[in-house]
Amino acid sequence: MNRPLRLAACLILFGNAPLHAAGSIALEQANQRFAAGEYADAATAYKQLLTSEGPRASVLYNLGNSYQRLGQYGPAILAYERARLLTPRDPDLLANLTLARQAAAAFEETHRNPRLDALLYHFSRHEWSWLVVGSALLLGGLAVLFGVLGLPRRGWRNGALTAASIAILALMTGATALYLRRDEAALGIVLSATTGVRLSPFDKAEVLGSPGAGRSVRLGATSGAFRYVEVPRTSLRGWMTDTEVVPIIP
Amino acid sequence: MVSQFPRSNFFRKVADWRRAGCPLHRCPRALPGSNQARSPITSLARQMLACLCFIAAGIFTTSGLATHAGAAAVGATLDRDSVPAGNGALLTLTITGSRVDQIQLPEVENLIIQGRDQSRQIQMNGGQTIVSLTCTYAVGSNTPGNYQIPPIAVSIDGQQLTTKPLTLKVLDAAAAQAPTPSGAPPTAGQAPDTSGKRFGFLTVELLIKDRNYLYVGEIAPVSIQTWLPEDARAQLGGRIQPEGKAFTLHNVSERPQQSTEIKDGKRYTVVTWYGGISATKAGKYPASLSLDATVAVRDTSAPKPRRRNGGPFDDPLFDSMMDRFNTPMIQQEVTLKSEDEEIEVRPLPTTGRPDGFTGAVGDFKFESADIPASWKTGEPQQISASLSGSGNFALLGAPAPVPPDAWKIYPGKSDLTPRDAAAFSASKRFQFSAVARKGGKQDVTLSFSFFDPAAAAYKTLTTSPKPVAVSGADLVDVQPNIPAAPPEPAKPKDPLVGQHSVLSAVAPLTPLVARPGFVWLLALAGLLCVLGQTLAWLRHRRRDPARLAHAAMEIATHEALQAAAHCAEQRDVAGFFEAARRAIQLRLGALWNQPAPAITLAEISARIPAESPVARFFHEADLSAYGRHAAEDLLPHWRSLLAEALASLTPSAR
Repeated sequence: MNRPLRLAACLILFGNAPLHAAGSIALEQANQRFAAGEYADAATAYKQLLTSEGPRASVLYNLGNSYQRLGQYGPAILAYERARLLTPRDPDLLANLTLARQAAAAFEETHRNPRLDALLYHFSRHEWSWLVVGSALLLGGLAVLFGVLGLPRRGWRNGALTAASIAILALMTGATALYLRRDEAALGIVLSATTGVRLSPFDKAEVLGSPGAGRSVRLGATSGAFRYVEVPRTSLRGWMTDTEVVPIIP
Repeated sequence: MVSQFPRSNFFRKVADWRRAGCPLHRCPRALPGSNQARSPITSLARQMLACLCFIAAGIFTTSGLATHAGAAAVGATLDRDSVPAGNGALLTLTITGSRVDQIQLPEVENLIIQGRDQSRQIQMNGGQTIVSLTCTYAVGSNTPGNYQIPPIAVSIDGQQLTTKPLTLKVLDAAAAQAPTPSGAPPTAGQAPDTSGKRFGFLTVELLIKDRNYLYVGEIAPVSIQTWLPEDARAQLGGRIQPEGKAFTLHNVSERPQQSTEIKDGKRYTVVTWYGGISATKAGKYPASLSLDATVAVRDTSAPKPRRRNGGPFDDPLFDSMMDRFNTPMIQQEVTLKSEDEEIEVRPLPTTGRPDGFTGAVGDFKFESADIPASWKTGEPQQISASLSGSGNFALLGAPAPVPPDAWKIYPGKSDLTPRDAAAFSASKRFQFSAVARKGGKQDVTLSFSFFDPAAAAYKTLTTSPKPVAVSGADLVDVQPNIPAAPPEPAKPKDPLVGQHSVLSAVAPLTPLVARPGFVWLLALAGLLCVLGQTLAWLRHRRRDPARLAHAAMEIATHEALQAAAHCAEQRDVAGFFEAARRAIQLRLGALWNQPAPAITLAEISARIPAESPVARFFHEADLSAYGRHAAEDLLPHWRSLLAEALASLTPSAR
C-alpha cells in the first residue's frame, strides 16, 4: 500500500480524534457547571458546543436538563425532542422528556393505538428512512443478482426469494411508518408559557389564546417574523413570532 | 250637500235655505206630477224632509263641534330643574287641538331655547277625534343663574292659550363637574379615559373598629364596593374572587346594596357587598379582589354628531344634553379589580397561649352544655355543648371536659347556625362521645380557649361545674406500646435523570426522508431493479430453445441458399435443386414444427395448393432428386421460383 493511501486512511480514521477530544473536554466542563448548580452557565456551554460541533444527542439531552432545572420547560422540551430525533430509544431522555411535559402540562395526545405508537416511535424517522432505502437497495441488488446469475440452484433461489420478501416487508413497514409520521416535519415547540397566538401577523394583533410552554404546534407559512401555527386538537390557530415558536427540525 | 257648507256659516246657510225653501221646490219639473197643485200629502212630506235634513245637520255640527270640544289645551314641562352651565334641559310643549296657528316662544336674556322635535298624535275616542301636538325644545344657558321661563302663548283654532311659567336653574359648571385637565371645554371626540377605571373598579375596606390590621385566622368584616360610571350598564357575573393566595373571602352577602355616590368629582353607581377576609400567614399582603362583569359605557371618544343647520341656535351648548341619547355605547367584558392596598396580618401571640387553644379567633361564649350526670367507666356517653359569638367558627373546636386525664373524648359532629347574612355571628353546637376513665364523684366542666382580637388576648371559657357520679373502676392506663419512631423517610429521589458524560456522534437533525438524497437512493434502487429485470430477460432470451432452434434453422437455411446459389452459378442443376429443396424443407419444418428431412412432396401436396410456388418448386426438386434434371437454361426461372417460394413461406402457410 503506497504512502498517500496510507496517509489518507490514517486521516480518515484518526483525523477527528482531536476534535472529539476537544468536544469531550467542553462537555465535561459544562457537566461540571451543571453539577455545581450553575444551570444557566451550563446551558450556555452546551449551546456553544452544539454551535461549534453540530448536533449531538448527548449534548442536546444535557441542554434539556439544564433548561428543566431552570424551569424553562419550553426550551427543555425542544432540546429533548431534538435529541429524540437522534436517539429515540434513550430511556434517560424519554424519562426526562416526560417529566418536562408533566411540569409544563404540555401533554402529547394521540388517537392511535399505544402499541402502534410504541412501534412507530421506537425508531426515529431517520432510521425508518434508512430502512426504506436499505430495503429498496437490497431489492435492487437481488434483482441485479438474479439478472446476472439467474440463480440456477434451488437453494440460491429460495434464499433470494426470502431476502426479497423480507426486503419488501421492511420497505412497506418503513414506508407506512414514514407516512404515519409525516406531520412531524412541520412540528414546532412553543418556548414560553406567556406567549400568545395572534389573529394576524402583527405585534398588536388580538391574542386568541396561549398554547403553553412546551406544546407541540403545527407550523405553516411565514410572514415576516411571524409564523402561522395550528395547535393540534384545538381550534386555536394563528400567528406567533419566530422567537416564540421554534421548529424541532431547524 | 250639507258638508259643503263651512261649519262656521252652517246655521246661517240652513236659515237661508229654509227661507229660500227646499231646492226641490225650485225645480218643479224634477218631481213627477209637479205641475199639479200642492196637495196636503206633499206639504207634509216636504216638512218631514226638512226636519230630517235639520236633524242630520245637527248631528254633523255636533260631531264637528265635538272635535273642538275639550281639545284646545296646552302644557309645558321641563325634565329637570337645574342644569350645569353649558348643558341643556328638555322643554316639552304639549298642545291638544286641531289647528295650531302659532307658538310664541318667549325670549329670556342669556337663555337659549332651540327647537328639537315635533310629533303629532291623533286619537279616536267614542266618536271624538283628539289631536295632540308635542314639541320639544332644548333650554339652557352658558351663564349660571335662576331663569324664569314666561308662559308660552299658543294660538289654537283662533284661541290664545298660554302655559304656566317654568323655572330653570343654571349651575356653575365648575361646581357641578370637575374641569378637564386642559381647562378647555369638552370638544367633539373627547379623549377616552385611559386610567383603567373607565369601566369601573372595586374597593375593599376593613370594617374593624379601632384597628387597621387583622390576626392570623381572624375573619375580618370588609365591605366590597363596585364603582360603575353613572350611565353605565353592567351585568355582574360570577363571584368576587381574591387575587393571590394571601386572603380567603368568606360569606359574601348574596344581595348587594346599590347607591349613587360622587368620587373625585364623578358620579358612580356603587354596588356594595359585605363579607369577611382571613389570612393564614402573618405579613402585609395586598387585598386584591376581582369581579368579572360585562359593562357598557358611553364612548366619549366617538365624535359627537353635529347638528349645524346654520341657524341662530347652532350652539355647542345643546350638544352635550342630546349627546346622551346619541353617543354610542361600547360594551366590554372586563375584570374589575381593586387597587393593591396592603392589609397587615399579625401573628397570634405565643405568650400566654393556652394549651387547649385550637386556633379559634373571635369572641365567643358558652350558650349551653349538656353533660350526663351518671357515668360508668369505659362506657361512652354523648356530651353536647353550644357556643355562640362572632369570629372564625371554622377553627372553633369542641370544648373539652376538664380534668382532661379523667376523660377520653372522641370526634363528634357540629352544626353551625348563622345569625346574620355574613355569618360573622353564629352559634355552633357540638356533640361528641366521651368515656369516663376514673370512678367516683367529680365535678366536670367544659373548657375551650380562643383569641379575642379586640382585646388582643387569649381567653379561656369554662362552664359551671357539673357534679357527675362515675361508677366502675378506674380504667388502667396500659402504657401503649409505642413503636420505635419510624425511620425518617428517605429524601425523595430527584426524578430528573442525570447528565450524559459521553460525547455522542455528530448527526444531522434532518432525517434522511427530508433530504434530496432519499429520493435519489430510491431512484437508484429502482434503477437496479429495472437493470436486474433487463439482465434476466436477456439471459432468458439468450437460452431460449425455440429461439436457438429458429436461429439454427435460419443459419442452415442461409447455408442451403448459399449452396444453391453457388450451384446455380456453377450451373449444377442437381446441386441447385438439392440445396434449394433442403432450404424449403428447413423453412417448412420451422413453420410446421417438424423435422426438415421428414417433409416430403406428399405432405406438401396435402397441405399446400399445387399451384403454389412452393409445391411447384418442390415437385421439380423431387424430380431432380430422382435423376430427371431440368434444363440448365431454366435455372434463372427456377431461382426466381425458389425466391418466390421462400417468400411465401409465412406463418399463415401452416
